[in-house]
Amino acid sequence: MNRPESAPPPGGWRSKLLRNMTTRLVILLMLTLMIITGVNDYLRLTRERQRLEEQTQEDVRIFSETLALAVSRNVRWGRTTAELKELLDDILARPGLVAVTIYGPDAQVVAQTVAAEAAPPEPDQTVRDTLKSREASADLLETPSGQLLRYVQPFRWPGGRTGAIEVRQTLGNMERDFRRAVRQSVLSRLVVLALFVLSVVALTRWNIARPIRTLIAGAQAVGRGDLGQRIAIRRRDEIGQLAEEFNRMAANLESAHAELLRQAEERLRLEQEVQQTQKLAAVGMLAAEVAHEIGTPLNVISGRAEVLGRVLPPEHPERRHLDVILKQTERISGIIRALLDYTRPRRPNLRSESVLPILGRVADLLLERSRRRGVRILLELPTGLPPVRVDPDQLQQLFLNLLLNALDASPPGGTIRVTTGTEPLLPAEGRAGILRGQVEGPCLAIHVLDGGKGMAPEELDRVFEPFFSTKGQGTGLGLPIVEEIVRAHRGEIEMLSIPGRGTEVILRLPLVPEGAGGGEAAAPESAGKVASHGD
Amino acid sequence: MAKAPSILVVDDDPEMRALLLDVLRNEGYEVAEAKDGTEAVLAIRARSFDVILMDKNMPGPSGLDLIPGFRRVCPRSQIILMTAYGDVPSFMEAVEKGAVEYLFKPFRMEEMKTAIARALGRDVGSRP
Repeated sequence: MNRPESAPPPGGWRSKLLRNMTTRLVILLMLTLMIITGVNDYLRLTRERQRLEEQTQEDVRIFSETLALAVSRNVRWGRTTAELKELLDDILARPGLVAVTIYGPDAQVVAQTVAAEAAPPEPDQTVRDTLKSREASADLLETPSGQLLRYVQPFRWPGGRTGAIEVRQTLGNMERDFRRAVRQSVLSRLVVLALFVLSVVALTRWNIARPIRTLIAGAQAVGRGDLGQRIAIRRRDEIGQLAEEFNRMAANLESAHAELLRQAEERLRLEQEVQQTQKLAAVGMLAAEVAHEIGTPLNVISGRAEVLGRVLPPEHPERRHLDVILKQTERISGIIRALLDYTRPRRPNLRSESVLPILGRVADLLLERSRRRGVRILLELPTGLPPVRVDPDQLQQLFLNLLLNALDASPPGGTIRVTTGTEPLLPAEGRAGILRGQVEGPCLAIHVLDGGKGMAPEELDRVFEPFFSTKGQGTGLGLPIVEEIVRAHRGEIEMLSIPGRGTEVILRLPLVPEGAGGGEAAAPESAGKVASHGD
Repeated sequence: MAKAPSILVVDDDPEMRALLLDVLRNEGYEVAEAKDGTEAVLAIRARSFDVILMDKNMPGPSGLDLIPGFRRVCPRSQIILMTAYGDVPSFMEAVEKGAVEYLFKPFRMEEMKTAIARALGRDVGSRP
């Protein structure tokens, strides 16, 4: 099989996820949001960190200044180193403080307190610079246990000299604060993001995915042929409009479908009717043929029996044989009569009709067949033809038979012309013809001309005989039925043919007399006078 | 006794013809026969008949085809057409063309006699 399959590509779950519109939308939004908030948070946290650093520095500065004042006083009051050390030890309880050192004017350590794990600071260049310049300085020291903030604050030493106090403070607190801030920020972002994703999913589900799924289900139902399907989405947005348009389309489809069905049914009904009529006509023709063939011998038998019956005296012992013969011939007649009565076409219900719509219906009925054979049926009839006195059903059957014959005779690519006019379309030379029926008074002539192979004169002579067919597959009843209908309409039918050139049928139907409506056919006046079969 | 009415029987079936001739002769009519249209035309050219009893189905021109010619040549002759039961279109055409009576085969001899008597304008019951 080389039919393209919509098999899941490798990494099925991923493509499946991405095929879902909601998921795609959510992922896109999430990524955008994450980038925006990420950048924002990064900037904010950087600022925060800077602020924390500054604040710690400020804290240390104030602390150092205060401490410097206190130490300065204590030194001036002449406190001993031990006393100063005691003071410093108390101070070390302050959280984050690593070491506090008091330097004398010559950068010698006067007193010092150091946290347990830290290394005791030594006087360095910064301390000496401060002693010299008498200006406070701050810097960051990299130590194995992390960053330390160092603040060196000068103070007045007795004798107009300068001492310095060095405070070392770990940034651990600040780092912890900062990390907490980062954690909180990330957490809150995640919560917001999760809420956002949930709300987007819910919203798209409610607003887009659900109605679209309803639309898909509706479209699938219509696709399966359930044209009564409607989508119940009442909204004013584009999806609502889409649903409305969809419903309109489905309604149009439904009515078009119903119309097609109706037409198909109508055509089927017409075809069945025609077939039924043909079948009945076939039996009728056969019965008529039988009636014709055995009518005469039967009449001879019954007639002779009657003659005998008159000669034999009523009391003659062998008379009963005669009665049996008479009864049985009567029985045969009865059977034939019953058969004929059953199959005889009903009398035409004549009324004023226009032939054009009837021909149109027949041509429509034959459209499919003519298309299959590649034959065109051209109705070259003007509108406004005078009305004729016909039975529309029987005329339809008549045209159907004529056009079917023409179709069978036409070669592929041929054309059947249906026209009106007084003169035949076929030229006079080489033309043979046969006429059935007789029309009196003004009439309408309809010509049906095919471009088939035509018929030899001896064939033409027999075309109206029942069971005679040139087609090799026909019933041989088409034209006898046509003739019967034409005669019942008091019209005439002429068939002209030139071998190799085509056949033309001319149907002449009496026009509706001027001033006459389209009433019932009047029974022949003399009918009552004529002997019918007595029973 | 007045001259017996003359009847021409036209039928291609010899047995039918023989039967009709037998019965009609027995009834006292003066009868002649023809086996098809050609013989019939020759017969009516030779003399006139009061009644022409003619079958519809014959080789050559049918009984229906012959009626108009007969009406012209011998307008006095009353034409009775015979055909198979149920042939209503022929019946209507025959009436239009001028046949006065019509018989559907098979018919009873009594029926035929009645039809002929009616065509001759006589009382149905009377005998010639």
